[in-house]
Amino acid sequence: MSETTETAERTETATDQPLETTSGETEEQVREEWREYVFDGRTKLAAEDLDVYYGDDYALKKVSIEIPEESVTALIGPSGCGKSTFLRCLNRMNDRIRSAEVDGSVRIDGQEIYQESVNLVELRKRVGMVFQSPNPFPKSIRENIAYGPEKHGDLQTGLLARLLDRSDEDEREQLVERCLRDAALWDEVQDRLDDNALGLSGGQQQRLCIARCLSVDPEVILMDEPASALDPIATSKIEDLIEELAEDYTVVIVTHNMQQAARISDQTAVFLTGGELVEYGDTDQVFEDPRSERVEDYITGKFG
Amino acid sequence: MAGATEGDLVTGGTSQTNAVAAGAVGLAVLLFALALAALFEAITISEPVAGVPVVTLLGLILMALGGAVITFGVGSYLGYVETEPSPSAGLVAATAFSTIWFVIGGLVASQTAGLGSLGSFLVASVVGGGTFALTALPREDIGSTLPAGALTLLTGIVFVTGTIGPSWVWALGFEQQASFTAEFVIPVLTLLCALISGWAAAKAYGGFGARGRHIGAYVLVYVNAGAIIGVLFVLIAFTTLRGVPGLLTGFEFGPGVGPEVGLFGVSVALPFSLPFVMNGAALLNDFQGVLPAIVGTVWLVIGAVVFAVPLGVGAAIFLTEYAERGRLTQAVEVATNGLWSTPSIVFGLFGFAFLVPRFGGNKSLISGMLTLGFMLLPLVLITSREAILAVPDEYRDASAALGVSKWQTIRSVVIPAALPGVVTGVILGVGRIAGETAPILLTMTGGTFVPGGQTVDVIGGFQFTGAPPFVANPELLQATTALPFQLYALITAGVGLGDTVANPADFQWATALILLVVVLSFYAIGIGARYYFRRRLQS
Ligand SMILES: Nc1ncnc2c1ncn2[C@@H]1O[C@H](COP(=O)(O)OP(=O)(O)OP(=O)(O)O)[C@@H](O)[C@H]1O
Ligand SMILES: [Mg+2]
Repeated sequence: MSETTETAERTETATDQPLETTSGETEEQVREEWREYVFDGRTKLAAEDLDVYYGDDYALKKVSIEIPEESVTALIGPSGCGKSTFLRCLNRMNDRIRSAEVDGSVRIDGQEIYQESVNLVELRKRVGMVFQSPNPFPKSIRENIAYGPEKHGDLQTGLLARLLDRSDEDEREQLVERCLRDAALWDEVQDRLDDNALGLSGGQQQRLCIARCLSVDPEVILMDEPASALDPIATSKIEDLIEELAEDYTVVIVTHNMQQAARISDQTAVFLTGGELVEYGDTDQVFEDPRSERVEDYITGKFG
Repeated sequence: MAGATEGDLVTGGTSQTNAVAAGAVGLAVLLFALALAALFEAITISEPVAGVPVVTLLGLILMALGGAVITFGVGSYLGYVETEPSPSAGLVAATAFSTIWFVIGGLVASQTAGLGSLGSFLVASVVGGGTFALTALPREDIGSTLPAGALTLLTGIVFVTGTIGPSWVWALGFEQQASFTAEFVIPVLTLLCALISGWAAAKAYGGFGARGRHIGAYVLVYVNAGAIIGVLFVLIAFTTLRGVPGLLTGFEFGPGVGPEVGLFGVSVALPFSLPFVMNGAALLNDFQGVLPAIVGTVWLVIGAVVFAVPLGVGAAIFLTEYAERGRLTQAVEVATNGLWSTPSIVFGLFGFAFLVPRFGGNKSLISGMLTLGFMLLPLVLITSREAILAVPDEYRDASAALGVSKWQTIRSVVIPAALPGVVTGVILGVGRIAGETAPILLTMTGGTFVPGGQTVDVIGGFQFTGAPPFVANPELLQATTALPFQLYALITAGVGLGDTVANPADFQWATALILLVVVLSFYAIGIGARYYFRRRLQS
């Protein structure tokens, strides 16, 4: 325990010193600059002074960021810098980690999600999540997709509904087809919707998870390294899919793959060790002309 | 390196020497099987097979095996056989061999030579120590073959010369007048020699060294596994063979000979009659049967499972999904483990003192069900807990990220994924409780022979009553019997036997067979259920 606090302190002192940036500005000035970064479009998600602790571990430090709707925002940074932690703050999945403590504010469409009266069910329906390793349920493909809506009572397919002739079988079939089509998986699995999802390949499983996430009609989709366990072909399918999804959804994606971030994202946020958001801006600008020297070093592969 | 060039990829054992070693392994396996058969009296050692007494036959095979093992070892040492032995057979082999030879030396010195305890201890130590040195010091091909081969050869000679013959008895000279007979000693010695020499021969077959050790271990493991399966098989075959005559007493086959069976108002006479499982006991019966006990056992198990599974699974869900891991969960863990190890008679006493007075004051089916349910509870709890903990957290995360509530997640994802594990626990538990005698002796059983009229009819026993609780089932409050108890009573008390049953031994074995069949049927149902739930998760 004490050791981790020590490291945290050390990094803190290291970053407290004014660091040289590419244009001779200090980190603080850089931060001030991108704080004023304006994007086209409406703000979907906004975090302000977000702090996260795991016990004594300071994982996220005063992160403030605004994310525009219907776009892809990439979060990059070295391992352990708090990207997943930040992502989990956006749909309050951090509530499920006992030691995690969140301080600060996150707003979706201007509504604060860190307050008592928030309906977690509604929040997570609006902010969906795709995990690093594909995690379909050990059920059939159809059941995987229909799971969310059925549990929310949006689809009645139980025995009672069937007996009362109120079953939404047709709606379910349409939903399954729509989600699978949106996730670019329909053509591959339409003949075996009753097969167990665990029998799919890793890439197919991940697209199934994306389809499952779409089934509850989210507005925001959070993805934590969704392609890190996949081969290049499956990865490029997922990337295409993400670009398509960005037409209707707000996508926030964590990735370790710079090329991937550069290819698919509209905005890029760079986190660096210690849980700081060091730079945020248009992807082209961040990759071609980073303001902070540390970010440039990271992007060109000098550290991290 | 005896002959082989170092670095050879293909080990160059000639096919002839390999055949000798393989033959020796085969002999050892044959001996092992013969010894097991003799141990379970499938063959009698005093009777001749093909004109040769079995003991002599065993002795001859042992001599051949021992000779082959020694020959191979010496041949390898002298370089006639291509092998790659290690410098030493190792300390484990040395310890094992020296222990065996220590015992043999001591026994020969005290029993045959008649030395006192000090003298025999000295002899034993010298023999044991010598064996240790002989195993550990020389190269592996000598060390692992000579002590094993010598033991086998010696045993063979002892059998062939009749030093230990079929009528040999070794009185231990204890107060209890205990003695070992040849029927027991000869198979056991043969088993031991077969195992050791089989191991040595297998090592030789592998050319000693790493490959030899691998094959030696392989043979040991397989022979042991085979022996375990063999013992199980013998046990079941033994019970079946002895039980079938009693079971078939009075068996008739033909249209209309069986009892009437009513189903949905249609009454059909079965085309066969098997009195042993269709009758109760009655003075005027032609043939007595154990129907009440069968029905009692089945209802007992069903009642216990219906009681214990929801409670156990519910508690497991609470402990794994809701309770904070800490003092409470640890305490519950210790308590459940302790409960599972509690002797069944203690559960029986609990039922007798607590349940019986609360359910009408007499022994009753429901008291027995609940007592066995309490016994089953800890195992269901423990295995369900393990099964739920083994469900990956990814499923829970995925469900939570869809906004699905915790309870719905547990119900629709966690429990289905944990079910195969839960069923495994229930299978194990049912195997234990279905054969319990002590608890039902105290809580449920009435007489030894229950008349057919007292066969519990739990389903038919439900009645609607005008007053709360509106449904009653007097059958549950009736004392009845169960197979394990009936078996126990038949054997110890023999109540009523002799007057009503023509052949008591047949009756007892048939009861045992039926108990076995009932328990194995539950087991089969459990395995089927587990298979079904697993399939649902995987395909
Ligand atoms: N459940 C947890 N309990 C305690 N500490 C945690 C937990 N999850 C993350 N942390 C800590 O928080 C810090 C940030 O972790 P996080 O998982 O957010 O990093 P990341 O940027 O996603 O890294 P990666 O790229 O390797 O996935 C790390 O120091 C980590 O040790
Ligand atoms: Mg991460």
